Amino acid sequence: MRTVYRVLAWIIAVEVLLQAAAITYAVFGLGKWIQEGGVLDKSVMESEVTAFPEEVGFMVHGLNGQMIVPVVALLLLVVSFFAKVPRGVALAGTVFGLVVLQVVLGMFAHNLPFLGVLHGVFALGLFAMAVVAARRAALPVGPAGVPASVGQATAI
Amino acid sequence: MLMRRSPGRRLRTALPLLAALVVLGPLGWMWASSFVPSQYAATEMGYVDDGGVPVPGGHDHGGSSGGVPVASLTGDVDGPADVAVTLVARQERFRLATGEEVDGYTLNGTSPGPTLHVGQGKLLEVRLVNESVAGGTTLHWHGVAVPNADDGVAGVTQDAVPVGGSHVYRFRPGHAGTYWYHAHQLSHEQVERGLLGALVVDPPGTAVDEATDVVALTHLYAGRRTVAGRTGDVPVPADPGRPVRIRVINTDNGPIRSWVDGAPFRVLAVDGTDVHEPTPVSGTAVDVTAGGRVDLEVVPPATGAVRLTVGGASALVVGPSGAPAPPPSRQPEAVVDLLHYGTPAPLGFDPATAARSFDYAIGRRPGFVDGRPGLWWTVNGHLFPDMPMFTVAQGDVVRMHITNTSGEVHPMHLHGHRMVVLARNEVAASGSPWWVDSLGVGDGESYDVAFVADNPGIWSDHCHNLIHARDGLIVHLMYAGVTPSYRIGGANSPE
Repeated sequence: MRTVYRVLAWIIAVEVLLQAAAITYAVFGLGKWIQEGGVLDKSVMESEVTAFPEEVGFMVHGLNGQMIVPVVALLLLVVSFFAKVPRGVALAGTVFGLVVLQVVLGMFAHNLPFLGVLHGVFALGLFAMAVVAARRAALPVGPAGVPASVGQATAI
Repeated sequence: MLMRRSPGRRLRTALPLLAALVVLGPLGWMWASSFVPSQYAATEMGYVDDGGVPVPGGHDHGGSSGGVPVASLTGDVDGPADVAVTLVARQERFRLATGEEVDGYTLNGTSPGPTLHVGQGKLLEVRLVNESVAGGTTLHWHGVAVPNADDGVAGVTQDAVPVGGSHVYRFRPGHAGTYWYHAHQLSHEQVERGLLGALVVDPPGTAVDEATDVVALTHLYAGRRTVAGRTGDVPVPADPGRPVRIRVINTDNGPIRSWVDGAPFRVLAVDGTDVHEPTPVSGTAVDVTAGGRVDLEVVPPATGAVRLTVGGASALVVGPSGAPAPPPSRQPEAVVDLLHYGTPAPLGFDPATAARSFDYAIGRRPGFVDGRPGLWWTVNGHLFPDMPMFTVAQGDVVRMHITNTSGEVHPMHLHGHRMVVLARNEVAASGSPWWVDSLGVGDGESYDVAFVADNPGIWSDHCHNLIHARDGLIVHLMYAGVTPSYRIGGANSPE
């Protein structure tokens, strides 16, 4: 279970990197397309036929962020109940909470663009939390389910 | 050892299981209860909303016993057709008039399909032949109050026409104006890829002069904005000083902003109804919501041409051939507010006498629809398919309060009727009667509209961002005593 916990936490960390990469790829592609004469409007945004190749970045970001990341975060939370990772439930709960917050910001903050700033900043927080959780689960466990070196863990 | 487990240890085993159940249980229950039947009649969807007044004989939610079947609601269509057209639908790669290749759908080999003209009250007969549209297809006459059986909604007013099949639509359009037609089977995909065209209903006794009456249907083909099927600037030859009527038709999923450089313009009509006493405006744009139409009048000046920009990427250049056109310009800040444009005129009915009043509150929340997790549109707090069935009796005056707190604009389209806007955000309309069949409701806005229930049947009332409709932003307007003839599901997938 600890291994599952660790793997899920690492998946979330990698997913955050993927999210950042995908959205940057898409925004840069959009800029290039506009330079070449493309015009962005609501219909282009809604269209399911791609206007420029990098548009796939928006789809990856949306699908990944709304579906895959929440499912992995939920699995991490459920696994945390069984994995006996020190403070593992709290960490998984924080990761899950941050994911929910990110989804909510991503979906509802478009009319309040300054909240988009938080979406970007929280992404870094989520990445950090996922890495901490993964590394906690990597520590060897002592006889009573207590990690052999708690001091090390807090030093991370 | 197992036998001598301490209560504390047992608790430690049970607690994680319990926690997992608390997290996953509600999700599982929501998931399991979200499934949509594989086949259903529109009347079996959701729950009856009678707008606060019981409908005579309206308890029959399933609508199976007695009553008038949808298929029999064909209207007065005896006799020979005044205009008869055959439209052949094909799924193919084709070229736009300006040469770009598109993978999509055509009608009689082109997209947009042929522009149809018919006189007001004349009998139009359109034979739709599906040559190769694999998913089946239909034609819906957007904005025209056709008899219900001719509305073209797969699974509600007909069965989708399979490859090799055909279907005949016969109706008499009652109001001169600008309309369009499009597929209403898998519409989110077929409309986007070009299964559409313009329909102009000419005023009685006058033939439209195509030199001064131009259809400017705009459509986005794979990211390329077109007007009249062409990308870039489209020249429209016109004499100086002679007014030209330009019928802008927005066939896309989002609103389009249009503006005119080089001369003032007037908004002559909205959604097929003339504006009463429209005044000239300049330095101002006009919004055309998705599915909506706006007829503009421009008069080319003696000195050059007029540029009508349609949605930023396309334009009509109206004037003598070769006349200098103004360069493309930045879109104006100001937008014509149709709530106050023109002057008042009689509506022909009194909204204060409304028999029923419905709420159509559009929201959004996470949940499951047909087993799929996501952030879904809601109507009055409910997820698809648990939608209200707005139920009316023939002859009712009906009011509707439309609100939107979903974070996105929704172009709300009621089939078979035209609605008049009474107020926006509680501010009463003070201009010309603003008749619509497609109404852009922005996030945070509310609209009060009214209409007369004078066209019996089962009518879709949905978001014309067709992606949203596919995702469940659709309800039906149901007349008491009308029974379904078709079923959604199987080969019929209207959205």
